Amino acid sequence: MYSNKWIGSLYVTPFVIGFLLFTAFPFVASFLLSLTDARLQDQLGAANFVGLSNYSEMAADSTFRQSLGVTFAYVFITVPLKLAFALFIAVVLNFKLKGIGLFRTAFYLPSILGGSVAIAVVWRFVFAGDGLLNQALSGIGIGSVNWLGEPTTAMFSIVLLRLWQFGSAMVVFLAGLKAIPEDLYEAADLDGASRLKQFFLITLPLLTPVLFFNFIMQIVQAFQEFNGPYIITAGGPLKSSYLLPLMIYEEAFKYFNLGYSSALSWVLFIIIALFTAVAFWSQKHWVFYAQDRDDKGGH
Amino acid sequence: MTPVSLTQMGNQKQAEQKWGNVSIDSVRLTDVRKTFNGHEVIKGVSLEVKKGELVVFVGPSGCGKSTLLRLIAGLETPTSGQIDISGRDVTYAHPSKRGVAMVFQSYALYPHMTVFDNIAFALKIQGLPKDEITHKVNAAAETLQLTHLLRRRPKALSGGQRQRVAIGRAIVREPDVFLFDEPLSNLDAALRGQMRVEIARLHTKLNATSVYVTHDQVEAMTLADKIVVLNAGRIEQVGSPLDLYRKPANLFVAGFIGSPRMNTLKARVRDVSADAVKLDLPQTILSVPRQSAEVPQGASVTLGVRPENLHLATEDEDAHLNGYVILIERLGGETFAYVALKDQEGDPLIMKLDGEVSLHNHQAVGLKIDLNRAHLFSEDGQAIGVSPDFAHQTDGSVHV
Amino acid sequence: MASSLNPVDHGWRKHLPLVNAFVRYGLLILVGFLMIYPLLWMIGGAFKNNAEIFSSVGFIPKAPTTDGFINGWKTSTEYSFATYLLNTMKIVVPKVIVTVISSVIVAYGFARFAIPGRKWLFALLMATVLLPKSVLLIPQYLMFREFGWLDTYLPLYAPQAFATEGFFVFMIIQFMRSLPLDMEEAAVMDGCNSFQVLTLIVCPVILPAIISVALFQFMWSMNDFLQPLIYLSSVEKYPVALALKMSIDVTEATSWNEILAMSTIALAPSLILFFVAQKYFVEGVTSGAVKG
Repeated sequence: MYSNKWIGSLYVTPFVIGFLLFTAFPFVASFLLSLTDARLQDQLGAANFVGLSNYSEMAADSTFRQSLGVTFAYVFITVPLKLAFALFIAVVLNFKLKGIGLFRTAFYLPSILGGSVAIAVVWRFVFAGDGLLNQALSGIGIGSVNWLGEPTTAMFSIVLLRLWQFGSAMVVFLAGLKAIPEDLYEAADLDGASRLKQFFLITLPLLTPVLFFNFIMQIVQAFQEFNGPYIITAGGPLKSSYLLPLMIYEEAFKYFNLGYSSALSWVLFIIIALFTAVAFWSQKHWVFYAQDRDDKGGH
Repeated sequence: MTPVSLTQMGNQKQAEQKWGNVSIDSVRLTDVRKTFNGHEVIKGVSLEVKKGELVVFVGPSGCGKSTLLRLIAGLETPTSGQIDISGRDVTYAHPSKRGVAMVFQSYALYPHMTVFDNIAFALKIQGLPKDEITHKVNAAAETLQLTHLLRRRPKALSGGQRQRVAIGRAIVREPDVFLFDEPLSNLDAALRGQMRVEIARLHTKLNATSVYVTHDQVEAMTLADKIVVLNAGRIEQVGSPLDLYRKPANLFVAGFIGSPRMNTLKARVRDVSADAVKLDLPQTILSVPRQSAEVPQGASVTLGVRPENLHLATEDEDAHLNGYVILIERLGGETFAYVALKDQEGDPLIMKLDGEVSLHNHQAVGLKIDLNRAHLFSEDGQAIGVSPDFAHQTDGSVHV
Repeated sequence: MASSLNPVDHGWRKHLPLVNAFVRYGLLILVGFLMIYPLLWMIGGAFKNNAEIFSSVGFIPKAPTTDGFINGWKTSTEYSFATYLLNTMKIVVPKVIVTVISSVIVAYGFARFAIPGRKWLFALLMATVLLPKSVLLIPQYLMFREFGWLDTYLPLYAPQAFATEGFFVFMIIQFMRSLPLDMEEAAVMDGCNSFQVLTLIVCPVILPAIISVALFQFMWSMNDFLQPLIYLSSVEKYPVALALKMSIDVTEATSWNEILAMSTIALAPSLILFFVAQKYFVEGVTSGAVKG
């Protein structure tokens, strides 16, 4: 709009400074740290360069392998389930009925509050030995389960917490559904396509951009989950819910191994980067954009 | 300021025009060029707008008319050339420091402000005292019959009312030059006609210099003192509306001004004399009266005939052209007939006939051309000579 | 044709919308109830005594008591819960303010100016959205330790003053790009400089987006746990999130009603804001995904 480049540059200066200071520099520094044996309590000058030994150490570290496996399991279970559930409910909600707004509110609320410590605390009580879930189960004659004490069920509890927060993905799906022109369905009706066919031939293809967005966001968030497992299970029992972000935190701030922790964080970064890269690369095969999206604005 | 003083202001401007520095043009463009991303959209435009004149830039979309207006406004800076407003070089001046005000196509009203605040905004930015602002806004609102709407927000106004607020925002600044960027294109047809009359009346009242951009040649014809026809970043012709209609300088202007558009026929020059050009057409030989025509024998030319200058030949007349009717559009007061020429490819000719004319599809018809009002263009599109009927006519309404 | 020959089919089709609505409502009510139940149980539990919490699955307290609130408010520390609430606000309020201001300014630069290298800068901006925070955690910690900012609130909001939350900047850019340029050009003609255009015209017009950003940042900051956990060491500076975590470590076995009461209070600001300003959340979360 305005031809004066330098005034424009002035407006983005805060971002450039912030990016260099709080993102680019720590990003590089974290990789450099991952090549050292730096410890939290020591001056940085005391650290030694150890090459890639932090990375090779991981191969032998059974805790790391456990954590990595748990993290993948957590992501692979929660992301598809959450997306499918969010899409399903969005389709059910996308209907002109009285009180739909109320349901949308009810479904959206958990994803706003879900990341909080308070909710994690409630969750812990729900799954506790004498908690809500066991009371309900004994009410229908099923014996109580030691939810947080068994590896499988502990994982189940934190997976459920994530699924509970399907609302934000649902709201995005809902907006995407509303953006699909009604006359496409009317035309399909005249062509004699069944509801199910309409869903797979019209709704789903037109929803792929939104699906893509949700997929990326969910992947990135799921790999970084910390609050829930830290407070509900503390990663246990037997490291069965010890997600990588927990391990990164504990290595650094409990065991003071800054070098090793940095190396772990870089592994997590590379995993996320690979997933998003593959997603972006693959989108031309499955994401359908109605219009060409060019970079507009700023002439 | 009351409407009375607005009129006084107008008189004062007229007085300045008579006795003041007459040589100063209100707007002067000197070889203005503008390049966007290596693509030249304004290719050397020089132009003068006299004080009090309403000049209309017209042309097809993408011709650069809006860019030219934005260059005058200061929303774009020329790549080269100079822009003077009221005798001052403003080529690189801030838009607000040029003495111009602009009415935007989308009205561009500030949605979060009332009508009063919209109109007052520029004055507030200037830091004028409150009383003066109130006074000026009220005066402008009265002129535009907006007084009862001053407390409303733009959302609660009709299209025509929004347009008037946009104009009010411009006049309150008492600019030297008003700029209008397709101000009526967002209105429906009925309202457009009404607002056109209002803008014309306002211009007469304020007698302010105005530059008006439109793609609608009817708007251009009805509003303009002077029309500037633009095409592909260049000026094709400048003149009064009727001058352009009667003496188009080239095929582009001939085709653009006038609706339905001018009919064209390919022809070859057979013979040139002092007052006529003899043409070979596929069907016939025509002698077109022409003054000061310079064209070599054998040159291929285009004969242009406006729809109202084509007539049906009576039975005892020799027709110039023969064809048959392929489509009739009856508008009530007038009838458009589309006639395909016999044994000839190309677009049909359009005739403007009386509303009650008796005609039917596929009817074979003979056509007479009003040769005294025909137009002739060389192969590169430039007009050749002048038709005798238009040779001595000038448009009386041109401002001096 | 089928309707005259086959009246049964006709009748079925007539009732189809009704059946459809019935199934949908049923499903939504069931799911909605399951979704909301943990919250209802939390609020109900806050007004129960501990014995009742352990003995009944219902959420309506049989003998409502405010003991949980009274005892919970005192906390097991030397500070009352009010201190922690106040501490939370000391973090959240400045964080929201600097986030909004810096994001709006930077978004304006991106949306409206031909900056040298804009495409690259924009790509970097988007990359910050996808970059896992944990990869920056340790160097940032060491950096703030060098600054002498440990056990202060500065590390919790100083970076946000530099538009480091790319998601918000992106959200506002999207919103600004959807505005017609005419309005801002009119303001320029009216004598505004670009900063006046931003403050007097653009900001009021994009107020819904600004509110969305403020609300999201408020919620997320209220929920934030890891950052205060790392940077704050004195209990007197703890925000609610840390205080709650501390209280379950200390009193979990005995007084659930206290903890549920304090959880309820901790969520109350977010809950109230959510219900008051729900549409801004929906607009905010969808602006990036659908418009873009």
